[in-house]
Amino acid sequence: MSKEITTEVTAPSVEEALQKGLEKLGLTAADVSMDVLDSGAKGFLGMGQREVRIKLTVHDKTKDDQREPAQNISETNVNLRQDNVKESTSASPEKDDSSIPPQEELLLERSEEIVNTLLELMHLEASATARYDDPDREGRKSVYLDVKGKDLSVLIGRRGKTIEAFQRIAALIISKEMSRWVRVSVDVEGHRSRREKQLKGMAEKIAKQVASSGHKQNLEPMPANERRIIHMTLEKNPHVKTDSVGEDPRRKVVIEPNK
Amino acid sequence: MKELIEYISRSLVDDPEDVFVEEYESGRHVEVELSVAQKDMGRVIGKGGRVANAMRSLLRVAAEREGKKASLEILEP
Repeated sequence: MSKEITTEVTAPSVEEALQKGLEKLGLTAADVSMDVLDSGAKGFLGMGQREVRIKLTVHDKTKDDQREPAQNISETNVNLRQDNVKESTSASPEKDDSSIPPQEELLLERSEEIVNTLLELMHLEASATARYDDPDREGRKSVYLDVKGKDLSVLIGRRGKTIEAFQRIAALIISKEMSRWVRVSVDVEGHRSRREKQLKGMAEKIAKQVASSGHKQNLEPMPANERRIIHMTLEKNPHVKTDSVGEDPRRKVVIEPNK
Repeated sequence: MKELIEYISRSLVDDPEDVFVEEYESGRHVEVELSVAQKDMGRVIGKGGRVANAMRSLLRVAAEREGKKASLEILEP
């Protein structure tokens, strides 16, 4: 029996690690099986981040001549799914062809399908188009979905609460399929861009007041993406500094004078 | 309504075969009951119940479209 050839690779995501490992070995996904040793950590504000670590084992050619390529594809996919499980068991017999993680190129296509399925199941007459958004903090692709249709105020909800929920669910499903965290923003009939404009205007107005009065001001509680807009708007303003205080869902931005 | 919760849950868990959803209607009120594998509970509930509450928000919209009220109960395994 020949000795097993294995290699360990680390990268920001399982897919990148697999890619890197295959390049190193000069093989294709069908020639190896993968174990996720460490599914990594996203960290917070760039702290506590940990890369994904995987182990690739090259199939023993001498006894694997009979294998069908299709079988190996699904095997790789089963292993890919372990990204979501903490422990990595090497031989997992379960097969689930319905949840094959698509390639990164399918990100837009699948995002659109997932969001359209959700809209249909919510009995809304609407459809979504996906495009790439600005890359996230780690420089990975993120998705912007534009939803157009009839009577969509119910999808936005009071103070945008429903669209927050919709976006959260969509992001979780898309991320699960891609085996990495995908930042997703869902816009309904331009609601998000209108809100963004409004938030920027408000941030600048309050910053001016804070700078001239010298007293700090608390804003209304806001979801994370809205707080992010405020922080980014005032990032380069030399007269004020911003911070977030409190716990979600009551977490809010504080604008303070910069001494 | 059941289909919405079924679709979301099956997409989020590791064991989609262990997702069961039942729907009980009484008058205009619909109660949706979800059960998943023990190890997948966290995925459908989320930190501080955020995923469960997001599902409830979407379920509410689906129910309103049919002129109904709906609630979602996640059963302990």
